[in-house]
Amino acid sequence: MATHKVEQLIIATVGFFWCFLMWFSTAAFSPSIAAHYHLGIKALGLLASSAIWMAPIGRILAGWAADRFGAPRTFACILAGCGLMSIASAFTTDYNLLFAERVLVAVAGVSFVVGIQHVAQWFDAFEIGTAEGLYAGTGNAGAGVGALLLPRLFATDYHTAFLWLGVVALVIAAWYLLRGRAAQSEGQRVLVRRQANLRTTLFVWSRYIAIALMLAYAMSFGLEIALNAWLPGYFTRGFHEAILALGFHGVAGLQIAAGTFAAVCSFNASLFRPFSGFMSDLFQRNNWTPLPFIARRLPYAPRLHWLGLSLMLIVLAMGGLTVAGLAGSLSLSVTALMGLGIFVSFGTGGTFALVPLLFPDRPGTAAGFIGGVSTIGGIIYPLIFAGGADIHTGYARVALFMFLPFVAFYFWAARYERAPEEHGFAAAVFAAEEA
Amino acid sequence: MHTASSVEQTAPQPWYKYGVGFLILEMAAAITVSIYSLYMTFHGIGGFPGKH
Repeated sequence: MATHKVEQLIIATVGFFWCFLMWFSTAAFSPSIAAHYHLGIKALGLLASSAIWMAPIGRILAGWAADRFGAPRTFACILAGCGLMSIASAFTTDYNLLFAERVLVAVAGVSFVVGIQHVAQWFDAFEIGTAEGLYAGTGNAGAGVGALLLPRLFATDYHTAFLWLGVVALVIAAWYLLRGRAAQSEGQRVLVRRQANLRTTLFVWSRYIAIALMLAYAMSFGLEIALNAWLPGYFTRGFHEAILALGFHGVAGLQIAAGTFAAVCSFNASLFRPFSGFMSDLFQRNNWTPLPFIARRLPYAPRLHWLGLSLMLIVLAMGGLTVAGLAGSLSLSVTALMGLGIFVSFGTGGTFALVPLLFPDRPGTAAGFIGGVSTIGGIIYPLIFAGGADIHTGYARVALFMFLPFVAFYFWAARYERAPEEHGFAAAVFAAEEA
Repeated sequence: MHTASSVEQTAPQPWYKYGVGFLILEMAAAITVSIYSLYMTFHGIGGFPGKH
């Protein structure tokens, strides 16, 4: 069967977009579900957080499965499984069963690493940044599109929405299975499949550069999903008077205002991501290496520098968000949030422009580790944001006590001028096994 | 497709310009949403596209 790498990119992107739509579809209908089952604020919070529960371990397993069985089979299984579960949830009338089914539907979020592996098997090193950026950025936009469109299309009828989301997922699964090809050549496929074992998994997990990229992704994507959950509440509480002064009244009015301001971060973080991949490619083409300490002679050194710049910009924007909040300026906060969203996208796009190049024989395993463990940030950051005496200072605390050490570790791990993936914990053990 | 030691400087392929065009469209969408949100911080419920 003849195919083209752009076709493979489109299949992966459509599959991921739909998975992201299913992943956050519960959140889009949470007010309707809460009203139907008379849920309290704690139960609502539990329902919202449950979307992330499966991501850390699920992405690790999915990355391994993509290497072992190929991306089309793995992605089709995820789409079909989550689609069937979504259809089942459309007919459920018991809340506990619905909750369990929606947790399983949220497994759709693990598909990210499968698509990353798929795209990496088809695109060349000089264009990988843009290709991965287009895949991930367009797919991530499914969350925002779902939040905007699903309630407008289906109003409060979440049963019908879940049914159609599941049916379309089954159609895409069949398409993925029919037209998807795991790799451009059989040789590449065999090489990657052979590397999908426990030893290579431990090897990737123990590499300093893999840990540094995982922390970089925790600073970017981990922060993005944390802010998706945190920001509406932040604006409602932190700028309560300012929002009332703008003419928004009642719970519905506050929700509309806070949701609109919060959407700035989500949209920029998703839709600027392909641009970040493009910038990574541009750094590579022009051999730009402006930062000190980070390696300059590696074949992909410019991409390391682009990511280093992105991480520093995230730290600065977090400080800016705290300053804007303490100044009590809603406009300044939204502006700072726009900057933060763009810089977060630089981090996410910059990270996955590097992963397939650093671990070319283990793309799924590496993507699973980096894209999976980092999502724990989505659970931790909101706790820190909410933990201080002042609601505005949480961003600066996270930047100072977590992000700055992460950035320092990144600079340290990216300093090797030869084969950074060879440096890590238990180096002697792996070297002996190689010998 | 690639190994760490075989990253080469190569001219972009034909698909690349369409990819760049698409990413510009996505950025424009993000900037539009941002401008609308920022406008709303000044004009509240009177902001475009009208009263809520």
